[in-house]
Amino acid sequence: MKQLGPYALAAAAALVIALGSFAAYRNRTFSEAEVARAEAAAEAAARGQKAGPAVIAAAVVLAPKKSARYPFLSHRDAIIGGRTVSLGGPGSPAIHKRLYDAANHCDDHGAFSELSGDSGRVIAAIPTDRGTAVAITQPPSPPEPLPWAILGGLLAIGAVVAYCGITVGGAARTIGLAVGASGLAAPAYIWSGAIPAAAILVIAVAVAALDARGSLRRAARALHEGRIAYAFLSPTLAAMVVIVCVPFVVGLGLGFFDHHRGEWTFVGLDNFAHILSGGGHSLADPLNFWFTVAVTLAWTAVNVILHVTLGVALALVLRKPWLKLRGTFRVLLILPWAIPSYITALIWHGMFQSEYGAINQILATFGLDRVAWFSSWTAAFTANVATNTWLGFPFMMVVALGALQSIPRDLYEAAATDGASAWQKFCHITLPSLRPALGPAVVLGAIWTFNMFNVIYLVSDGQPGGSTNILVTEAYRWAFERGERYGMAAAYATLIFIILAGGTLGIGWLRKRRAR
Amino acid sequence: MIRWVTLILLALTACADSGGNGRPTVILWHTYTGAEEIALENIVSAANRDQDRYRIEPVFVPYEAFADKITNAIPNGNGPDLFIFAHDRIGDWAESGFIEPIEFYVDDDLADHYAYAAISAMAYRGSLFGLPMAVKSVALFYRTDLCPVPPKTTGELFEWGHGFVASHPGAYALAYSNIDLYGHAPWLHGFGGRIFAKDGTLDVASPEGVRAAAFARRLRTEKLVPANATGDVIGTLFNAKKTALAISGPWFIAGINDTVPWRVATLPVVTETGLAAAPFLGVEGVLMSSRADHKGLAFSAMRALTSDASAAERARRARQIVPNNAAYENPDIAADPVLTAFRAQLSHTVAMPKTPAMRMVWTPYETALGRVIQSGDDPGAALSRAEDEIRGYVRRRSN
Repeated sequence: MKQLGPYALAAAAALVIALGSFAAYRNRTFSEAEVARAEAAAEAAARGQKAGPAVIAAAVVLAPKKSARYPFLSHRDAIIGGRTVSLGGPGSPAIHKRLYDAANHCDDHGAFSELSGDSGRVIAAIPTDRGTAVAITQPPSPPEPLPWAILGGLLAIGAVVAYCGITVGGAARTIGLAVGASGLAAPAYIWSGAIPAAAILVIAVAVAALDARGSLRRAARALHEGRIAYAFLSPTLAAMVVIVCVPFVVGLGLGFFDHHRGEWTFVGLDNFAHILSGGGHSLADPLNFWFTVAVTLAWTAVNVILHVTLGVALALVLRKPWLKLRGTFRVLLILPWAIPSYITALIWHGMFQSEYGAINQILATFGLDRVAWFSSWTAAFTANVATNTWLGFPFMMVVALGALQSIPRDLYEAAATDGASAWQKFCHITLPSLRPALGPAVVLGAIWTFNMFNVIYLVSDGQPGGSTNILVTEAYRWAFERGERYGMAAAYATLIFIILAGGTLGIGWLRKRRAR
Repeated sequence: MIRWVTLILLALTACADSGGNGRPTVILWHTYTGAEEIALENIVSAANRDQDRYRIEPVFVPYEAFADKITNAIPNGNGPDLFIFAHDRIGDWAESGFIEPIEFYVDDDLADHYAYAAISAMAYRGSLFGLPMAVKSVALFYRTDLCPVPPKTTGELFEWGHGFVASHPGAYALAYSNIDLYGHAPWLHGFGGRIFAKDGTLDVASPEGVRAAAFARRLRTEKLVPANATGDVIGTLFNAKKTALAISGPWFIAGINDTVPWRVATLPVVTETGLAAAPFLGVEGVLMSSRADHKGLAFSAMRALTSDASAAERARRARQIVPNNAAYENPDIAADPVLTAFRAQLSHTVAMPKTPAMRMVWTPYETALGRVIQSGDDPGAALSRAEDEIRGYVRRRSN
């Protein structure tokens, strides 16, 4: 029995596909039948005949009588079951509103029939000489049950075929497995056409081929041997798939679509072409992608340089044994990191405010002119950089402090004996020892800064004229300020990912080459 | 992330609270704070007391996040049943099928309760989508101790303003949100400009629009107004005697200190054209989600929220400019000088455009204003560029 393992694997996959194709078939036939019924009921109502069973409402809604005073108000009567009923007014039955709205929709857009996904109800409306015939139907019976007998029977027959093949052995084993596992392809073909059937066939043949090569057995053994490790890993793995992989793949896919009022249209590489070509804007225009790329790169470089310089300098000072209250200073210097970045960004935004901002007040006490911080690119960029440096240096400082602790004292003592100056010690001992710890920190810091949405959005908000936007804020604007252009935003996100992945791989390659 | 967490929490509250005494709950999202929120709560508790068919449950949602939340929550079935918002998004939401047409419930007699301009702002393409609650526009606030008689024309504004700034170093004559299209709109319309032409085509870079932008720049270069003032800054300047005039709306009142002597007047006439500076008119209405359960009950709740009694309460307590004609028969409300001034401003307003394309106008237009006023760019070039940018967004969308 244990030998039927490969068959079970292929059969399970085939079963999922077959069930999916049955569900698709069932939904399709159900909605076709219900729509046909509703349309027939609407036609019956148009001819003044009695509605069939399971029709909630059938009526001829008469032409609207426009209000004399309000062009957007109109009154409608309906003939329901031979009697004329006035539609509307507070307290009218909900079903009357459906008739009224359907008639309005039909007047504007022509005949239609619509299945409501929640209730299974169908509304059909057709224009007639007397008015608009509308029918609302409720499905008379629950949808077909799943065809377990067919599926179970085919699986059992498949199991017998596979078992026979296994008993004979050799090529018969492979053929038996492939044929046995393909059984479900037939009903899948009947229900939903060639694609699911082909998928089942491909899976059956692939499993049989893998079984013949012994790959399946090896994989099963590896899985069995590492079962404890895999068991421990599985919750994280599942979480990674749900939280990281699925959104990532969906995001990549969305970049190929255009979104317009809830409708998605496949546009291929259009979004990317629009972005990469600069969208018809000149290179000096902040709306040009390459301008934003340049700003983003400058932003990242300036920030990382400042973070590292300031972080290392402070770490060197904090290491000095003569410094009193070292612990207190350390805590104080880590504080900016501990405060949520958007709060810090809002505080700095307030400090750069031109009338009442602290920074202009300080400038004024020194007799300097007020600076309109968000009126020129340089000033606005400086304001952003100042805020982000405040946010970013503690991380580098902590990393450098840790690395400094691990440099052996005797290196410095040996250098001192050789008569090295303080500068030489720094260049030849401290810096090279910091490099292994700072390298990954710089990469991480660069990625964070590259995508530092909070600071740009909350401090300069892209001012002046969108010129301090970075790629990630530009992606946000496509998604939320330019009419829900999620496709463009997703394309931006994909490009950001490509740039960052390329950059990280490039740095890794450089480091490896230098190490050699 | 925070957006989604809030959304999920809101959705959970919406699901969890359908119990209340066994009557269906009508969830109402609103952005009201302060006196407006108190007035709304009074109206809601009165409505919940007076009948036993439904219960209104108000939920506050911050203004900044409101429209995005509506756009994301309703299609997923997580949104409110009713919500209060300005009319300018009606076109977009109606086209997207997020809001429910309600003309089925409304007859002429009910519509007669409201000022014509207010209820017609709630209509889009021959359907009605809401009942009006309040009309909002900006007007001219002035400190009577610094400027006893506010300027009637922009010519007077410059003349008086130069004298005032010279005699009050460090102060401004006027504070308004000059890099904001909503704040700039009075000048735009006062110079005869507009956003969309009558046939709906974009008309941002018109000569009138260019003159209005140049005028706004002149106000700044001649140091009559502060750079890039926003709501909070305007309030602080006004309280601190750093500005004599401020352009803002009824929401500004709550922030004025008790010691400040102030009044409200209509905005000045633009001397060059002889037209009154006309701000945008926003009509705040209560709208129904297309996914609302119990639409009939939800409409009853809409009526209760916009009834004459409710309007009187909101006008009295929160000084809302209500569109209910009957409310002004109340002598207290009719005599209120602030309400009177804002009602006078209403005849010189331009309803905010409802077309979905309007949403793409704000950011590019404000970028252009920033370029003209702050960076000194040529107004014609900056506005043509904005117009091109907006056209780009509108065109690609309609593909």
